[in-house]
Amino acid sequence: MLELKNISFRTPESDDGAQSPSGRTIIHDLSFTFESGVFCAITGPNGSGKTTLAKLIMGINELTSGKIIFNGSDISKLAIHERSNVGIVYGFQHPARFKGTTFRDLLSIAAGTDDEEKLAKIISRVGVCSLAFLDKRVDSKLSGGEIKKIELATVIAKNPKVAIYDEPDTGIDLWTIGPMVELLKREQKENKTTTIVVSHNKAFLEAADTLLLIRDGKIGYSGDLAGAVPILEDLSVCAFNELCHGEVNAQCYR
Amino acid sequence: MLNAIDKQVLKEVAGLEGIPKGAYNIRKNGKLLGREVSANITIETNEKGDGIIIDIKPGTVNESVHIPVILSQAGLHDTVHNTFIVGEGSDVTIIAGCGIHCGGKESEGHSGIHEFQIKAGAKVKYVEKHIAIGEGTGRRILNPTTKVFMAENAQVEMELTQLGGVDEARRFNEAKIGAGSVLLITERVMTDGNQMAESRNEIELAGTDSKTNIVSRSVIKGNSSQDFYVNLTASARCYGHIECDAIIMDNGRNQTVPALRALHPDAELTHEASIGKIANDQLMKLMSLGLDYDAAVNRIIQGFLR
Repeated sequence: MLELKNISFRTPESDDGAQSPSGRTIIHDLSFTFESGVFCAITGPNGSGKTTLAKLIMGINELTSGKIIFNGSDISKLAIHERSNVGIVYGFQHPARFKGTTFRDLLSIAAGTDDEEKLAKIISRVGVCSLAFLDKRVDSKLSGGEIKKIELATVIAKNPKVAIYDEPDTGIDLWTIGPMVELLKREQKENKTTTIVVSHNKAFLEAADTLLLIRDGKIGYSGDLAGAVPILEDLSVCAFNELCHGEVNAQCYR
Repeated sequence: MLNAIDKQVLKEVAGLEGIPKGAYNIRKNGKLLGREVSANITIETNEKGDGIIIDIKPGTVNESVHIPVILSQAGLHDTVHNTFIVGEGSDVTIIAGCGIHCGGKESEGHSGIHEFQIKAGAKVKYVEKHIAIGEGTGRRILNPTTKVFMAENAQVEMELTQLGGVDEARRFNEAKIGAGSVLLITERVMTDGNQMAESRNEIELAGTDSKTNIVSRSVIKGNSSQDFYVNLTASARCYGHIECDAIIMDNGRNQTVPALRALHPDAELTHEASIGKIANDQLMKLMSLGLDYDAAVNRIIQGFLR
């Protein structure tokens, strides 16, 4: 069980990016419990604090106040790698690109072994057939789809108790989203992985057992998708959201 | 014939556990320690007596030549002129490099001047590794010069590596690339403490459809400094690319100066250069997989210098 107890996060930067004494509060006194083995989708408008919340759980952002309790232990002060080693792993929205480092390197670190047979089992689990893919360099030459596949594989290779995926469908073509949802559901079911997915995508929202809607750094709603639909419609959460900013819109096609 | 230090140096420089198979020439403290030739590869001392001439017969394939240098005599500054003549259509690997073992207060140095005459259609992989070890406080100096003259349709791949222990290194690479020939250079240098390394490169794409790719990877730790200069000149229709990346750690300093000169209207030259600390997103990724900060840094550097 993963409990967020009155957590807040404040950054010293104001809305315009300048340093300000009062700063800007992104997560406000938020409490929520993720039951073990649940598939939870975190959604909400852009800038609502979804990714910040996910990063607070992983320790990438440091809590301003509050506590995070994982299976009875307070992990609020643990560093990223310590949280990883107690079973929390994070898939980044924009995965890091390296120079020289290969998929095999990352997978070996995650799996704790460089045994090729074991690595082969992992990559077949995530739907990568070719062993040659193991020696792909994780650099800027990879396509968006390839790097996301690698990101997913490294999270799964760590056998996490809690897997957090930040917008796993970014850069993925429409036809790959279905199999990706199936993969995460299968991992949840077979390994009882608590799965937290930050997403706007309907496919993930439909796959989730619970939906957590974040609005202005607070929980706007938690529960099933049916209950969230009216709120989501009201918030105008749509696939074109990022393009809809500005005063001179041509026409809304929704 | 080889003592424990020699063996250690040979292992580090040339990956050798003992005397190599095939043609070799091992030089220790300015003198010949051992030499072997093969049916296709001859090695002879040059007229001046300050180096060797390695002659590879046309059509020699799948053979290698090892020419490591061991330096373990305090105060010795050894200069050597080696010439490689690589015959038409041959395909060979040349393993060179120098290992310094410094046991005292006096400095030790080696300047290896290597000239390559690559004949038409020949293919060469040249691997050169420089290291310095030992408990001594004397400065360890390595100043290699590499001159490559390529005829038509030849291919040369050069891996130049210096990963530790060398206090001063001044490298000079010069190449003239003939029609249809390809030159690939990868230079990897890691410095620490107060070490300095400088690499100057003068590369000319001289023949039609010649190609080159020059990659420099630098890791600069402690108070060390590294400077990398490359002048890439195109005198014909050709393609050339320079990629220089430097990771600065601690108080390291770096200058990277790639220059492109197109003297022909159909020349296509590009370069990319970056200097900076280890990217935060790379560290975050490895830490999120369970590595602590130091282990994450090491893995990133290992990959970068691969």
